[in-house]
Amino acid sequence: MKESRSDAAFSAVMTGIMIVFALIALIPLLNILSLSLSSKVAVEMNSVNLLPVGTTLDSWKFIAGNGDIWRSFAITLFSTAAGVVLAVILNALMAYPLSKTYFAPGKIIMMLVVGTMIFKAPIVPYFLTVRGYGLYNNVLVLIVPHILSAYNMAIMRTFFKQFPAEVEEAACIDGCGMFGTLMKIVLPSSKAVLATESLFYGLTIWNQFQHPMMFISKVELYPLQLKIRQLINAGGDLSSMVVRANVNYNETTLGAAAVVFAIIPIIAIYPWVQKYFAKGAMLGSVKG
Amino acid sequence: MTKKLVSMMLAVMLLAGLTVSFAAAEDYPDLEIWSNNNGYLAVEKGGALYNFYKELTGVGITQPYIEWNGGTTYQEQLNLRIAANEMPDMFIPVNGMETDLIRAGAILDLTDLLPEKAPHLYAAIPEAVWDVVKANDPTGQGRIYYIPGVLTFARSGGIIRQDWLDALNMEMPKTQEEFVEVLRAFRDKDPNGNGQADEIPTGGRAEARWMDYLFSMYGVASWEGYPQWDLYNGELTYSAVTPNMKEALAWIASLYAEGLLDPETLLNDKAAWDGKINSGRVGVYHHWAQASYEYAESIKDATGTEAKLVVIPPISAEGYEGGYTQLQVGSVQFVVTNTRDESKINAVMRVLDCYGNDEMREQFVLGVPGMHCTYDENGKGSRLPVDMQHQENMIFHPDETLASIESTTDSLNMIRSEDTAWAVDQSIENLSHMVEYGRPIAGDGVPNSIYSDYPDIQNRILYAQYASKIITGEYPIDKFDEFVEKWYASGGNAVTERAREWYRKVSE
Amino acid sequence: MKKSGTPGGGLALNVRKYWPLYVMVLPGLVYLIMFRYIPIFGSVIAFQDYSVFLGISGSPFVGLKNFIRLFNSFDFGTIFSNTVILGLIKTVLLFPVPVAMALMINEIRSSWIKKSVQTAVYIPHFLSWVIVGGLVFDILGVGGLFNNIRAAMGLGVMLPMQKESWFRPIFAFSSVWKESGWGTVVYLAALSGMDPSIYESASIDGASRAQRLTRITLPLLVPTILTMFLLNIGGFLDLGFEQVYNLQTPMTYNVSDIFDTYVYRAGILQAQYSYTTAVGLFQSVIGLVLVVTFNKLANKFTEDGGLW
Repeated sequence: MKESRSDAAFSAVMTGIMIVFALIALIPLLNILSLSLSSKVAVEMNSVNLLPVGTTLDSWKFIAGNGDIWRSFAITLFSTAAGVVLAVILNALMAYPLSKTYFAPGKIIMMLVVGTMIFKAPIVPYFLTVRGYGLYNNVLVLIVPHILSAYNMAIMRTFFKQFPAEVEEAACIDGCGMFGTLMKIVLPSSKAVLATESLFYGLTIWNQFQHPMMFISKVELYPLQLKIRQLINAGGDLSSMVVRANVNYNETTLGAAAVVFAIIPIIAIYPWVQKYFAKGAMLGSVKG
Repeated sequence: MTKKLVSMMLAVMLLAGLTVSFAAAEDYPDLEIWSNNNGYLAVEKGGALYNFYKELTGVGITQPYIEWNGGTTYQEQLNLRIAANEMPDMFIPVNGMETDLIRAGAILDLTDLLPEKAPHLYAAIPEAVWDVVKANDPTGQGRIYYIPGVLTFARSGGIIRQDWLDALNMEMPKTQEEFVEVLRAFRDKDPNGNGQADEIPTGGRAEARWMDYLFSMYGVASWEGYPQWDLYNGELTYSAVTPNMKEALAWIASLYAEGLLDPETLLNDKAAWDGKINSGRVGVYHHWAQASYEYAESIKDATGTEAKLVVIPPISAEGYEGGYTQLQVGSVQFVVTNTRDESKINAVMRVLDCYGNDEMREQFVLGVPGMHCTYDENGKGSRLPVDMQHQENMIFHPDETLASIESTTDSLNMIRSEDTAWAVDQSIENLSHMVEYGRPIAGDGVPNSIYSDYPDIQNRILYAQYASKIITGEYPIDKFDEFVEKWYASGGNAVTERAREWYRKVSE
Repeated sequence: MKKSGTPGGGLALNVRKYWPLYVMVLPGLVYLIMFRYIPIFGSVIAFQDYSVFLGISGSPFVGLKNFIRLFNSFDFGTIFSNTVILGLIKTVLLFPVPVAMALMINEIRSSWIKKSVQTAVYIPHFLSWVIVGGLVFDILGVGGLFNNIRAAMGLGVMLPMQKESWFRPIFAFSSVWKESGWGTVVYLAALSGMDPSIYESASIDGASRAQRLTRITLPLLVPTILTMFLLNIGGFLDLGFEQVYNLQTPMTYNVSDIFDTYVYRAGILQAQYSYTTAVGLFQSVIGLVLVVTFNKLANKFTEDGGLW
């Protein structure tokens, strides 16, 4: 396939625009990275922009050197992995029937689903209900409340709807049944949307702090984000009447280090997700 | 029915039996007490601080780690606990949440218990303050439902770089004109001597906060940027809607226009404004007298200069009476969860009595030896540097919540060391003037409940908006009248009525 | 295989014929009832004078008092119109941005540039509004980039954060900066599902890249775009508290005060659970009306394009 000059120019312009945007998008990350590596005095004087001033690793040592943070890291890692698996299964099971026009109660169920997105439970009744299920101070509370979101399920349903019916029907001729079609034909060919959903659910679980704050009072069950908040507070300056510790970090530098610390795993996992976004990944596998 | 009765009687007898045995052994049940924690460790049963309190007061005290976050996270957690029927035995209520709880009967009436079982605390708090507490009883019965904080001096004032004055050969300003001359000199004459015109004569923070000393020249009652209630024209009035405020804003706007205020005054958050002070560029700022040593040390860290920070004696604008607003009645410190359990009540009262006992103050402030403090060979205690990762959260701070010049000076001495003496001594000196600089106000202790149903009056949304815009010159000063009108129309009338009603009760 | 599930006796037939589908949907349904609907019924506190101590059963009912208070509140008009305007900016004006970005990313041919660009544009999403808002303040502050450029042009210091007229543009740009990159994820996933043979046949027909983009790629994205739009429109008045709170100043309250910031002040600072629930219900009802309306329109103009 040969490309015309105008095609090449078109592509170049698009690439250029996106590169500029990408650079602008990196500014916040650069800024907090620099803050995390700067000295307390430099940060207190507001003199840090895109490069560290008075470079020091003290904030990082404080965050990563805390033994408890690694336990919290493990808790979060486990709940994210388990949560993503459960979420993808639950979503696929629900999205698949709802993508079929011949599934009679589909419309009513979809309305119910969208209703959960529009109406939000008030915090106190929500707390009492979930606590009533025995999820208080239970590590499962990091997973269970997050494994089915109307928003993500509706996206998955749209993808399933676009799945070519002929492929499915052809499979059914072999007599694999509806479960079999979903498991053996539809899911293996929907890697892009599965990857997207994993990303969405994974991020929700990884970043959560509202739920654990409500439902977990034992410090030893703290997930990463909560532990990080506690550490940032612990490194902060108190109002007054204390002997100031002779350290080279403060709330801001610790906060910055903690944010970077917590997003490194997300960025690290991204290339793996990206693999499934390659063009034609979905249908290629069906035909192959 | 009979079965129920029998089992109930059994339970009561059992309870009574337990109480007797506890009382006989002078043994109190443990208490869970919630207070603010800025990042310290939880207080757990059997831990160092638990044992320390147990030894000091006879009562074991625990506290889970609850994030404070300006009070909002704490408040939410507390409300969830209350909803789940797990109220702590004693806690600090925030944002006026005690009002509803008292009305619902959830809080213990302390009126008769205090004089009998916590005489030290009862005596430590002035009669006038108890009168305010009684007037604040939302049930209207004049009962005592909470332990108030007490502060017997003006906490904050305008703090000036005396070393800059010295460098420019200027005197401490006594009149408004002299003061403006000083600001101009700070702007133009390079008092920090670095050859750059980077000085910020004065300024404050967003929402027109932390520049109260400017407002105070016109007799505007104001606490860390929050307008207060005081007598204007003989009637209790919100200071933000008075002619005094109009004059003050007009004058501050002129300072802004002249470049004597930080151009970012109305955008600064705490970090931004502190950053400017700490980098040695600010001439005058408004803050706590006792905390000046912290800024002095930070300025030294950043610039190497040993700044001399001095509280400006209050200045009065012509025709007005200045003075730094003093609030004797502090915020609500503790409320006790309603219970019929005598042993619980005795334990709580015991703890409260110790908290108000001046002889125990030093121990409460110093905390656990080796964890929070250390004692030298003469037995003089001094505090160790903050290390929240390894220190448990001290629950009682009688030096701050039952504060006098004396108790605060004692605490400053506990943090004074050879290295920091130069800075801490400035704070002690500044603090010693704060009684004479103070200006008590009539609206001292007015309860938050007057704002109920008018959150935007409580959050001074209109005030922050108009004050900011007038100062930056976006609005002409004439707009102030529009603000007053809107304020009254949007709930100010109702709130004023409630405040005056309260004042009548207190004055009786 | 067409619709056989007509009401009446049809349902039994439908169940018999497609019973595995019913089994599949069951766990999700139970989940939604347990974790969403049961707590949602707690919204009755909007009609009560709710006290956490007394609970739902012990708190008195007050009818529509909380709603009346909302509609009578002094700033209701301003807050409502501010919310609608910012909602329009977010759900209508900025809606196409991620679509356009996804299409542009799709045109990048170098695979490593493409991957790097994708990763970079997602990153701001992982940072909180406190951080991004703080940066916006810095950039537009006295020593920030904006005023440095002005100084280079010989202009004096100007502080956009305290100007009402700047608030909406700042809101829009910061939204794009932080969220539009992340918004491309779904579209890129959809693009990856497209059959390359369609492109091949098109390029044989002599269509240019630009033509293929508008004639083939974009139409194929329509179902996804429609779903995303319907999902977003339900939260039209629910802009999220974080962004506006971290960008507003008292000088811009007139244009920046929205339901979410109002509820924060009334709810969090005064713990008025009943009142905030009432405000939330009001937002939800508007969201419901919008979703139902647009869903109808979607079904009318595209076959089976709605959510139900």
